[in-house]
Amino acid sequence: MITIKGLHKKFGKLHVLKGIDANIKEKEVVVIIGPSGSGKSTLLRCINYLEEPTEGEIIVDGIPLTSEANINKVREEVGMVFQRFNLFPHMSVLDNIMLAPMKVRKMSKADAEKVALDLLDKVGLNDKASAYPEQLSGGQQQRVAIARALAMKPKVMLFDEPTSALDPEMINEVLDVMKTLAKEGMTMAVVTHEMGFAREVGDRVIFMDEGRIIEEGTPDHFFNAAKEDRTKTFLSKIL
Amino acid sequence: MNFDFDLIVRSLPLLLMGAGITIQITAISVGIGLLIGMFVGIARLSKNWAVKMAATLYVDFIRGTPLLVQIFIIYFALPLILGQRIDPFVAAITACGINSGAYVAEIFRGGIQSIDKGQMEAGRSLGMTWGQTMYHIILPQAFKRIIPPLGNEFIAMLKDSSLVSVIGFEELTRRGQLIIARTYGSFEIWLTVAVIYLIMTLTISRLVDYLERRYKIG
Repeated sequence: MITIKGLHKKFGKLHVLKGIDANIKEKEVVVIIGPSGSGKSTLLRCINYLEEPTEGEIIVDGIPLTSEANINKVREEVGMVFQRFNLFPHMSVLDNIMLAPMKVRKMSKADAEKVALDLLDKVGLNDKASAYPEQLSGGQQQRVAIARALAMKPKVMLFDEPTSALDPEMINEVLDVMKTLAKEGMTMAVVTHEMGFAREVGDRVIFMDEGRIIEEGTPDHFFNAAKEDRTKTFLSKIL
Repeated sequence: MNFDFDLIVRSLPLLLMGAGITIQITAISVGIGLLIGMFVGIARLSKNWAVKMAATLYVDFIRGTPLLVQIFIIYFALPLILGQRIDPFVAAITACGINSGAYVAEIFRGGIQSIDKGQMEAGRSLGMTWGQTMYHIILPQAFKRIIPPLGNEFIAMLKDSSLVSVIGFEELTRRGQLIIARTYGSFEIWLTVAVIYLIMTLTISRLVDYLERRYKIG
């Protein structure tokens, strides 16, 4: 579904990604972990071109990210959930979800509303359709953000530290929605510090440090039989 | 000195008509300014070098030269190129509109820049184009934030529009001058003219306060 070859990203002199090669298969849940500044968010943001790669090749669902037209096409198929939710504060929850399907997919208002209400049901917020983002808790906002991304019926979902800005008691309500998605067979790439989620839901774990992939494998391999010293050091600090 | 109150009463209808024209020219100019300002403000943030440069030159030129000189250029100098006289009203709204556009552009630029970067990213990540995201997400939020400075610009324009009296356009200030030329009632008329301007500007600033409170959410 996603192929990344020789990906480099520099911000000025800062070399953030130093040659990443990775694949994400259909229906696979890949969890990307690593210390802050290891480039994991940047990697995720390159996949839908929110960051422009300095070098390398990215192919999403057979479409190479080369032209502006291709980039927009890929973004239609790739949903993204941000650390800070990024809901549209001037719109109701329902309008937040309906906007892109109507403008990009040219869905009728009635159809978009039906999709939106179904998704709100799915994330357990069908009573919040007419609320505004600021009236919701962080966990509720993030669930709306997931529903908003899902409304485009994406083939892949990217999660950029979706629970890092949440109060602890709200983390599980968001993780539960993500687990449901994973069970339904959604292809997912998740940057997170939630090791419980990685262990339980991940098909594969990628450990990054200083702009490189250090080690990857099944959660079982990772949490029980990690080979690299840097992986072991990292895991010993957070587990 | 005699204070001729009767002169004020007699002049009031003419002055109020002038005030109406002042409001008209201000509203049209700010309207033109909003349109120019929105596009130029966005252009100032463009990644395209030429677009950004052109927008910057326009803003610098307009803000760096007096409105009075700009009015002269449009009314006296431009006809020499066009080979055709320009109607004072057209000259007035053109000069004021182009002038206002530069100030409004800076207001828009600031408003757009104040919107969190995550909003554009969220819109783009959903597959919307840059233009769609700008139109549906960024501008509506920016617009709410720039209501107070836009109100200030409206007030400034209303006062500055008195400058078009120099090309003989009969707005409030020019009406006052004409009445004084006939009656020599400088004190009474200028005082009245000032009070009429004051009433207009205070009304606008109250209106802006109201709008600001109303659109506070978001």
